Amino acid sequence: MRGDDLQKRAATAIVWLLLIGAPYWLPAIGGYTELGTRVVVLGLAAMSLNFLLGYTGVLSFGHAAYFGLGAYGAGMTLRYLVPSTGLSVIIGTLVGTIAAAIIGPMIIRLRGVYFAMVTIAFGQTFYFIAFRWNTVTGGDDGLIGWTRQPLNLGFATIDILKSSVAFYYFVLVLFAVAVGIMAWLLRSPFGRTLLAIRENERRARFLGIPVDQHIWISWVISCCFVSLAGALYALLNNFVDPRTLYWSQSGDFVIMAVLGGMRSFWGPLLGAAIFVVLQDYLSSQTQNWMSFVGLFFVLVVLFFPRGVLGIIRRRATA
Amino acid sequence: MTSDIRSALNRRSILKTAALAGVAQITSPFVITARAADEVKIGFDNPITGVYAALGKNELIGAQLALEQINGKGGILGRKAELLVEDSTSGDAGTAVQKARKLIDRDQVNFLVGNINSALAAAMAGVSYEKGVFHMVPGGHTDPVTGTNCHWNVFRICNTTQMEANAVAGSLIKNAGKKWYYLTPDYAFGHTLQAGLEKAAAKLGGTKLGGDLTPLGTTDFSSYLIKAQSANPDVIIFLQAGDDAVNALKQAVQFGLDKRFHLAGAQQELEVLIGLPPEARTGTWVFEWYWKQPNVPHVEQFVADVRKRSGGHVPTARTWFGFAAIHACALAAEQAKSLEAVKMAKAMQGFKLPPEVALMPDSPFFRESQNQLIPNLFVGNAQAKGSDPEDLFNVTEVAKGIDAAGTLEDTGCKMTWPA
Repeated sequence: MRGDDLQKRAATAIVWLLLIGAPYWLPAIGGYTELGTRVVVLGLAAMSLNFLLGYTGVLSFGHAAYFGLGAYGAGMTLRYLVPSTGLSVIIGTLVGTIAAAIIGPMIIRLRGVYFAMVTIAFGQTFYFIAFRWNTVTGGDDGLIGWTRQPLNLGFATIDILKSSVAFYYFVLVLFAVAVGIMAWLLRSPFGRTLLAIRENERRARFLGIPVDQHIWISWVISCCFVSLAGALYALLNNFVDPRTLYWSQSGDFVIMAVLGGMRSFWGPLLGAAIFVVLQDYLSSQTQNWMSFVGLFFVLVVLFFPRGVLGIIRRRATA
Repeated sequence: MTSDIRSALNRRSILKTAALAGVAQITSPFVITARAADEVKIGFDNPITGVYAALGKNELIGAQLALEQINGKGGILGRKAELLVEDSTSGDAGTAVQKARKLIDRDQVNFLVGNINSALAAAMAGVSYEKGVFHMVPGGHTDPVTGTNCHWNVFRICNTTQMEANAVAGSLIKNAGKKWYYLTPDYAFGHTLQAGLEKAAAKLGGTKLGGDLTPLGTTDFSSYLIKAQSANPDVIIFLQAGDDAVNALKQAVQFGLDKRFHLAGAQQELEVLIGLPPEARTGTWVFEWYWKQPNVPHVEQFVADVRKRSGGHVPTARTWFGFAAIHACALAAEQAKSLEAVKMAKAMQGFKLPPEVALMPDSPFFRESQNQLIPNLFVGNAQAKGSDPEDLFNVTEVAKGIDAAGTLEDTGCKMTWPA
């Protein structure tokens, strides 16, 4: 039992060391800092989705909606309101969270495929609004004419615009906060209740747990962090377009979570890393890159249903 | 019991080894692709998949031909030139932006080239401007790229949508009539092309009866076509490009609309006409470059060179865009005797393309303080068949670019140079 605990801590330490050192070891193996930032941002999105999918057992196929709302919230704050990176992240996250909180009560009674379908439907609504409202969102062309701003801390200014390494650490700090909160929540009685709902919803209900309310809270938390990821994604590209809201983007998050291993805390991050690197590398090599990503996914699902991290873990315990 | 576990482990370890071996195949070249530093690098971030795949492949053929010619003559500033090709996809601006950043940050390219899709070109221009990289847009037409959103580092080979509209509006009204109904792709290119046509038509007494915006990648145009025919216009104006144009025109002819209305538009391309059944090759259009120019020097040689590398196909306007874009990059470096973006951009102000690159009369030039190439435009009619299987356009008029381009003030371009 203690050995198991030790192993878990060692794994967590290795993950953090790798993340903190990324700008230094990535270029050495042919990567680049912004690739690392992408992994962290999309990893955060996939981990947020997994809070709902892996720990509450509810499959959302519409998380891109809140990812995109976060992105548009951040972009439009910088474009139309104030040139402040901090504020844009806060507003972006708030926009996505509030939308999720409002939509939540309409969908939490649904289960399984019906839940997934309705989340897609809501997601597509936001997509078409962004696509059609040319004058405000820029339509299919995307929202341009803005950039993230240097970070003013009062006593010092950090230039996260010009220095991609500084921006990476800015993202990593927010990532750490978000992941820390999620880990803390999952260890709390609330998190244990979510697990109980995942394992046997009917029994949880008989025990007097307000299941719908718990799913709603889990949904809002999950969407809150996915909006944060969206806001960071917009800042990373200095650009937003409606495809961040499209259902295929939600599909990508699910793929990342499943690929990495949706029953483990760090699995989705690993899945995001594999997905982003595969996409980045293969799409430069062949025009049929999408079939290779698809093939890889099919292989993982067929042979390693617990994801890539599942394989590693099984080996460690064997 | 023990033998069971062992066999299970064996099967597992075989699977694991297989998976690892598979991953190794993919990851090991990732390490090797860090590219050599002594070459001049041109990052080519353009569609290779999707709606604009056919156009993108032709631009790539032109670019590769230009690269070969440049390296045959000693490269750029005595260094070998290299083309780094990335698939931007046809409509996903996020991917195009990501690829542009990859080319600039990781590969440290000296030039960025792209994109066919106007929206993607505009988004990429944002990145190249932020990073101060010399950027050549071969074939994205929307006005703001060299208009209201122009930047000192962003140059463009193909025409603006307003230039195309100005060139073709007169012929359209004369050949087809004054009442127009628009079918317009719903993104930057379509929006500005329609606005340009409306403006040009209004001056000549043309009117708009209505219009529809069709999302990029639409395959079924029937509902739009039914609406268009019920408006009873003289002309149905198709502003789609690439596969969208093929689908839209094919369906219009299947509906028999070609017998009742003129089917026409502004920009048309050989790739689209080749993709159409013969009966759908109709209407008045503008080409930006055509391969049959009997008395213009170097064109015949260019056609022959391209046929050799494209499996016998003739060059299209896209082939020429790619060709001219790469040559223009090399010329900028030679002209400035430097690879510094600002010096190269300054050297290209008012620069005239030499005849072996221009491949058309009236020496096209990059207009000063706009960075827009001002080439001629080829107005004419699509034809079911010509002297060659790929001679599908009959040029009736070569419009001078400078007449179609309007004044610099009209474009709305105000450029600021880095201090």
